[in-house]
Amino acid sequence: MDDAFRTPERDDPELATVRGAITAARPAYEDLAALAEDIEDEWSYVTDLAAAWTERMDDVATARGDERVGQGLADAVRALSAEAAAVDDPHRAIDWLSTYPQVLLVALGERP
Amino acid sequence: MRFQDAAPDARAVVYAGIQAEPLVARAAALLADATPAQRVMARAVMNGMTTEPARWLAMFPTLFGPSAAAADQAERGRSEALLAASLEVAERGEQVRSQVRGAIVESLTETLVRRRPKIAAAASSAVRRERRILFDGVRAEAHPYDVTVEMAGAPGAIDCKWGARGINADVLHQLDDARAHAADEDEPLTATIVVFDAERSCNVRLERQTAPHGATRLIALETLDELTRG
Repeated sequence: MDDAFRTPERDDPELATVRGAITAARPAYEDLAALAEDIEDEWSYVTDLAAAWTERMDDVATARGDERVGQGLADAVRALSAEAAAVDDPHRAIDWLSTYPQVLLVALGERP
Repeated sequence: MRFQDAAPDARAVVYAGIQAEPLVARAAALLADATPAQRVMARAVMNGMTTEPARWLAMFPTLFGPSAAAADQAERGRSEALLAASLEVAERGEQVRSQVRGAIVESLTETLVRRRPKIAAAASSAVRRERRILFDGVRAEAHPYDVTVEMAGAPGAIDCKWGARGINADVLHQLDDARAHAADEDEPLTATIVVFDAERSCNVRLERQTAPHGATRLIALETLDELTRG
């Protein structure tokens, strides 16, 4: 198993709720957006895309924020963040700006 | 209005080889029966950085976690088969993987369209690939449509895209032109763009487009099964 998400803390309090999971997932998403902005011709699309998905994630955090989540979700967020951190091409980052929140939402049992 | 095979150029010959790969047919068949969550997983893996299965297993607890196995062994099996096929795509070189992904979306689209009751009962030639649509007095488009529905009374032109970023003015103009020219000949041609990406991302992309698209049907990742209903 990948070290990036094999973490010893089985009861990480920051990842114990839906809000915590979404908050923990946010930095990697912001890094993807920053990388994607390197494609100047797509700058406004990138910012609109990131805003649209951030709004969707915020909606879920508002609706289900205090809901407790299991260890599987904590592992999923770590794996997802590690995968996003490995993206080094801005074109792929644009694609992952859409993919990343979809994966997170599926892990939360939501439809994208 | 009439349909015609596209003249095979060098690109088309190479791409035909990609389209004929068994991996393309296998992935498309799995995706045709997949849930929206399984399709999201396949999309992520096919455009992922790692080909290490463990990371993907961890990323999708609703598909691979203990509760998923307990709930439905068949669905768990489909998830595993789809992961394996998606990893095979991801292991290809960057350019080839992009072509394979495109071919998979086209093959998936064809598979789902063929499930429409009227088409399932019709001749196999009712759904075709890489075809042009010709109209009297109108210059032929340079690029063929990915999938065409060639049934009297219910013709269709479909273009397929891997991601929302593939939505551009050229494809929107071509689809709308086909619909408009068909209407001039009293043919009710349905113009459709199939995008293997979330509807939300497609709408963000479409909002930026000035090319006509109000009469073009959008099928996104969550709504792929609507292709089976015409």
